[in-house]
Amino acid sequence: MNIFWSFTRQAFHNTAIYRFEYWLQLVSAFLMMYSVYWIWNILYTQRPGAFGVELGQMVTYGVIAMALESIFNPGQGPQMYISSQIKSGSIDTDLIKPLDFHLHMLAKNFGEISFRFGTIVLPAALIGFLFLDLQPPATALNGLSFAVSLTLGYLVLFSLNFLLGMVSVLTIDIRSIAWTYNSLVRFFAGQMVPLWLFPGWLGGLANVLPFKCIYSIPLSIYIGKLTGAAVWEGLLFQAVWVVVLMAVCRLVWAGVHSKLVVQGG
Amino acid sequence: MESLRIYLKLIRISMQSRMQYRADFVIGIISVLVLNAVNLGLIGILVSRFNSLHGWTVWDMVFLYSLFVLGHSIYSLFFWHFNQMDDYIIRGTFDQFLVRPVSPFIQFIGREIQYIGFGDVIVGLASFSMAYTHLELHWGVGMWLFFAVVVLSGTVVEMAIRWIVACTAFWTGRSVALTFVMNRFNLLVQQYPIDVFGTWFRVVVTLIPIAFMNYYPSLILLGKTEHGWSWLGLVSPVVALLTLFIAAIVWRLALRRYASSGS
Repeated sequence: MNIFWSFTRQAFHNTAIYRFEYWLQLVSAFLMMYSVYWIWNILYTQRPGAFGVELGQMVTYGVIAMALESIFNPGQGPQMYISSQIKSGSIDTDLIKPLDFHLHMLAKNFGEISFRFGTIVLPAALIGFLFLDLQPPATALNGLSFAVSLTLGYLVLFSLNFLLGMVSVLTIDIRSIAWTYNSLVRFFAGQMVPLWLFPGWLGGLANVLPFKCIYSIPLSIYIGKLTGAAVWEGLLFQAVWVVVLMAVCRLVWAGVHSKLVVQGG
Repeated sequence: MESLRIYLKLIRISMQSRMQYRADFVIGIISVLVLNAVNLGLIGILVSRFNSLHGWTVWDMVFLYSLFVLGHSIYSLFFWHFNQMDDYIIRGTFDQFLVRPVSPFIQFIGREIQYIGFGDVIVGLASFSMAYTHLELHWGVGMWLFFAVVVLSGTVVEMAIRWIVACTAFWTGRSVALTFVMNRFNLLVQQYPIDVFGTWFRVVVTLIPIAFMNYYPSLILLGKTEHGWSWLGLVSPVVALLTLFIAAIVWRLALRRYASSGS
């Protein structure tokens, strides 16, 4: 817990230095929220109540998805740090720390993300409530499940990012691969276009991939698109992916770690 | 002419150093293709599910997208290096451009051909020809000429805006965040007709003239003249030159500022 706080503090210091940048980030978050607000409003005047979701719900889904981007943007993940540490060779300073590397990355990333959640997502959501017709969670239970689901979604994204970071051991430069990866996340997570709009086989594919844990499940719970047993199914789906991906991360890291040690010897 | 010769020489050198990494080149192009396929795929799903967006069909929007990408592709090939400007300023390595007897501008943009731009060229041409076929457009010579002018104006507009944004680093030290916000505006204008987003958005992207890259000219090229704003499409080249002029002035001020802060 202590190391987690130290990373949050560090994120605070970094942001305090570049205050202008902070305001611009808030502006760009608002810009995206504002634009999806308009897109859904216009689409719904053409076809009210489309696909069993009311306009208010759809706007809420879209606006929160954009607010969350500042923490769920894959560019915020640990993979860039890992990649740059490997490229410069300073990964050894991470390895001599008396910390498990995987947990260390998780604490570091979670510290930074929590800080961004408090300083960007929450103010952005507040602006959404005031100006963009954002609705509260469908029910209190949905709100509670949303919080759990969001955390599980974060853990899925973190694991995927971590695995991408592991790729940098093989290829050094992961920038181009990261682009492709980011695109896939953007497509299959249901951030801009919710998965229930996906046609046939594409929808089927999106529904088994882990990406939907990131935006689609938490937000569908929030707006009440998922209720009752479907909420539990969603949370279970996420939990299974978290366990599987965490295990894969540990295995891959164990493999990579031993290889690094051999090279160092 | 002399500067053109030097520019071409610099470009050849940067190309050669780039081509050392073939694999990087291929992966880069593929990732651009995937990125754009995802963008277009999302727009396609969204708009086809609702038949149209504010009177724009899927193929209208692909056209809008392609027009932006075509203009952007030339910018991205030749002028991408502007995005690196603040790096030089932070590290204090910008001096190298001032001590040689060639225009700093030529030296600076001669640094890099952004090979990823080839991906944009492919995406632009492919999406444009698909949209052109599906919309069953039949342009005469005049329309094609106008189209060519619009694409080049788009390049100039984006290049000038990025140039100005890069120059802000001379005053603030960093232009990353501003670049980031600009990217957001670009992406919105590239993907959606701006009449969707209400008045103030239209005012902003008309003043920062991104909307002249694709939206206003599209109204003319697609015959959407009932929009009332379509005449603005005709002045695209004028707006482009004006923006370029402003950028050149800002550049001059920036250089003077850098020189004076060095002492």
